[in-house]
Amino acid sequence: MSRKLFSLVSAVVVLAMLLTACAAPTPQVVEKVVEKPVVQTQVVEKVVEKPVEKVVEKSVVVTATPLPTKAPEALALPRQETLYFNGFQWGPVVCWNPYSSSCNNAMAISQGDNARVTMFETPYLYNMLDGKQYPLLADGDYQWNATRTELTFKLKKAAKWSDGTPVTAEDVAYTWATHVKYNTATGAANKEYIAAVEAKDPQTVVIKAKVDASGKAVNPLIVAAYVSSNYVLQKAWTQKLEQRTGGDATKLMADPAEDVVYSGPYHKFYTDDTKVILVRNDNYWGKDPSMWGKLPAPKYLAHMIFKDNAAGSAALARGEVDVSQQFNSNVHLLWLNYGLPISTYLPDPPYHIGASLPTAFYNLKAPGLDQVAVRKAIAIAVDYPTIIANAMTNQSATFEQVPRSLMNPTPGEQALYDRAAVKNLQWTGNDIEGAKKLLDEAGIKDTDGDGWRDYKGKKLSYVATCPNGWSDWQAAIEVVAAAGKKIGIEITTRYPEWSVYQTVVTKSDTPLPAGYDIFMMWSAGTGVTQPWGRIRNLLSSEWVGMPNNWNGNWGGYSNPRVDELLKLIPNETDPAKLKAMYTELVKIYLTDVPSFTLMYRPELFHTVNETVWTNFPHKDDGTKPPVPPMNCINGWGVACLYNIKLVKP
Amino acid sequence: MKGYWKYFFNKLAWFIVTFIFAFLLNFILPRLMPGDPVAAIVARLAQGVSDATGVQAIYRQYTELFGTNRPIPEQFIIYVRNVLRGDFGFSFSQYPRTVADVIRSSILWTIALQFPAIIVGWLIGNTLGALAAYRKGAFDKLLMPISIFVSNFPAFGMAIILMVIFAVHLKWFPTSGGYGFDLIPNLSWDFIRSVIVHYQLPFWSIVIIAIGGQAIGMRAMSIYELNADYVKFSRFMGIKDRKIVRYVFRNAMLPQITGLALAIGTMVGGALVAEIVFSYPGLGYTLLNGVMGQDYPLISAVTLIITIMVLTANFVIEILYGIIDPRIKAAQAEQG
Repeated sequence: MSRKLFSLVSAVVVLAMLLTACAAPTPQVVEKVVEKPVVQTQVVEKVVEKPVEKVVEKSVVVTATPLPTKAPEALALPRQETLYFNGFQWGPVVCWNPYSSSCNNAMAISQGDNARVTMFETPYLYNMLDGKQYPLLADGDYQWNATRTELTFKLKKAAKWSDGTPVTAEDVAYTWATHVKYNTATGAANKEYIAAVEAKDPQTVVIKAKVDASGKAVNPLIVAAYVSSNYVLQKAWTQKLEQRTGGDATKLMADPAEDVVYSGPYHKFYTDDTKVILVRNDNYWGKDPSMWGKLPAPKYLAHMIFKDNAAGSAALARGEVDVSQQFNSNVHLLWLNYGLPISTYLPDPPYHIGASLPTAFYNLKAPGLDQVAVRKAIAIAVDYPTIIANAMTNQSATFEQVPRSLMNPTPGEQALYDRAAVKNLQWTGNDIEGAKKLLDEAGIKDTDGDGWRDYKGKKLSYVATCPNGWSDWQAAIEVVAAAGKKIGIEITTRYPEWSVYQTVVTKSDTPLPAGYDIFMMWSAGTGVTQPWGRIRNLLSSEWVGMPNNWNGNWGGYSNPRVDELLKLIPNETDPAKLKAMYTELVKIYLTDVPSFTLMYRPELFHTVNETVWTNFPHKDDGTKPPVPPMNCINGWGVACLYNIKLVKP
Repeated sequence: MKGYWKYFFNKLAWFIVTFIFAFLLNFILPRLMPGDPVAAIVARLAQGVSDATGVQAIYRQYTELFGTNRPIPEQFIIYVRNVLRGDFGFSFSQYPRTVADVIRSSILWTIALQFPAIIVGWLIGNTLGALAAYRKGAFDKLLMPISIFVSNFPAFGMAIILMVIFAVHLKWFPTSGGYGFDLIPNLSWDFIRSVIVHYQLPFWSIVIIAIGGQAIGMRAMSIYELNADYVKFSRFMGIKDRKIVRYVFRNAMLPQITGLALAIGTMVGGALVAEIVFSYPGLGYTLLNGVMGQDYPLISAVTLIITIMVLTANFVIEILYGIIDPRIKAAQAEQG
């Protein structure tokens, strides 16, 4: 008897376990979002790091940030005083040194078009919604001289460092001089365009552009972008840093800079392998009426270090995260199915404002892909709605909503080209018949009856690729491959590891090897130099032949007219002429199809949970100027920190 | 005694030879991976740099700093020299942090999670396995299917099931982190309680799977021993059951102890799955990122620690075997 009984009991136990395993209905968001976090940061955030200069035979003796560090005051952060983030910080913080770009300190240091201004500050703040630069450390708008070779701005009298001393023009000039002297990334990126940054008097800064043979600035756009992309650092502290590192660039940039002097509203409170916390400086100069007139609302800014998007999404759903910068798959289910007080900038798809254009590049040297007909046929056959629905869970505008060009979906960029003039060149995808017709007309047909089209007697067969584990990109690449099959072009997929992929793709001085016929890379987002910078990255032939090409045009496209237009645009101020030039570029891009946009992606994902804090930026929220959905810490988006309120004060 | 020393030196010689080869492989294998770690670092920093010479300069600076532009034999000599001084250099993936600092900040979490989990899983598993073999019948019938079922669970599956049931639905435990999201490490009761609560799911996700495997192994070994001739002989001799059981389990334990030693040796590699699913701090995920980012110094340092721990554990076990189990020593001595 006992045997039968126990057989029965064990069967029941096993069955019960199986059922528990199957029956647990996790919210879909929790289950579905598995993406490569590190990678996402790279794509979305454009983490800019800086170089190291000298040859070191042995390791340089550097005291790395001691982690974990001691907490000074509070043992638990009061929920009502803390704003929690996710999606910025994916590993432990390494240093607090704004001259280094290897600090992996996403809450405090990120220079670029939408610079992070929690701890360090830029003279101006870029607003991606209206494309304008608003003064922060600066007092009023900057002025160009008549020839657009010198840019002048004043600093606010109220602007102070954390040690109480005023921020002066001398600090701005010395910061630039240091970047150049030590060849930091900021220095390397700008020294071809900026000749000097000078202090005219303690409050007035003059930025002198480098000029070409004709006396024009090499690129006034990049000069203008400098003032909202790069921090001002204190001269006295920089000198201290130089002194202790003995003028050695490697040591200077590897210094953990725990003693750094800052001008922003927050500074280091606590970091370890699981979190980073900034605390407000209640003496912050910005409470002066000439700037914000008050302190930012949260006392603490905290960021838990999650190891993947799933964990971050779960914390957002539980209300342990207020502002989410990560990709939350099927984000709408959080409010539609679970009724949580969670929202995105736009209430409906695409939920976010698209800013960058993840792009499929063709290897233009591959047999067949040197033919426009083949490139265009594949591009128009791709099922973009499926990509947008699957890879982005509809968090991208469709190509019906925002027809393809070289512009991102922001209204400012969309107004820069003549849509009607290129209407017959734009496509929305799934045009199988059109693609077949295009190939037939070009004489690219299936000549041997094997079901695949042939070109010069050889079957059209390609490999489409992107890095392994970048799940949204992989989903997109699969859709591209499926399109090939429908029009008689064999496209298989392959996913190398990122470390291999990036080495191959960025080596633009040799032809791409087999296996990289169609491959995905990103494009630039929003900024003062856009869309010019993005178009330059996508199409300029100056990148061809670079041994380490991190800029773009990885397929090797070359068109003298494009290069000429790219040279003319930065110095052009007449809107009508600019529009004509941009329209021409779009026309060329959509005709030659050296690469094609697969989806739109926001500059930063911006999803908020309003359980504790409310009044975050949303579309048409009435703010003037509009506060962009930049997670409350980037560019003009930082205004959000002064607008948010407690739900239950 | 002479035989034992011979056995000892024989083992020691093998220990050293294996260590040298393992050390070499630890150095060479990561460097044989395709791809260029410096290019990966340049990727992070060159996106704002638009002029070609700027990017090239950055690339050169890093290859020289990390020495990846030198021939492999030269890199090896520098590596050996530094390792002898206990210096593993900079981590590529977390530059300018040193490898020692990276390991220091996460190794405690890993050991605190892995060591108790391995010991508890081993103890419970072996006890259950032995009981199943000895008591047979009902106990065995119930235990075996469950053990087989549970031990075949993929680790991530178990972790996610525990998370969904106990964290998402029942809300008994948190879903992620090593301690409360709103806390800062200190010696207060709140913090300690938070650490204990956060510890449970990652811990049991490892233990539950370990129990099954250990129980199956122990049961099989015990059944084999219970049917051995010496047991039958002892029974004929009229030796008490209790005493026989002690003989049996001592013998059955031997392979299990080897397993335990290896598990402890490799524990520094981290509980990768538990760390990822529960966003638990530790070395496993750090190492994974190191491998993805071709962080040679970090990979070499961690694998070196694992190598030393495994070899030492093995060595100690073999030496102990020589003492515990005279048959092994005798066999080895004869061969020698």
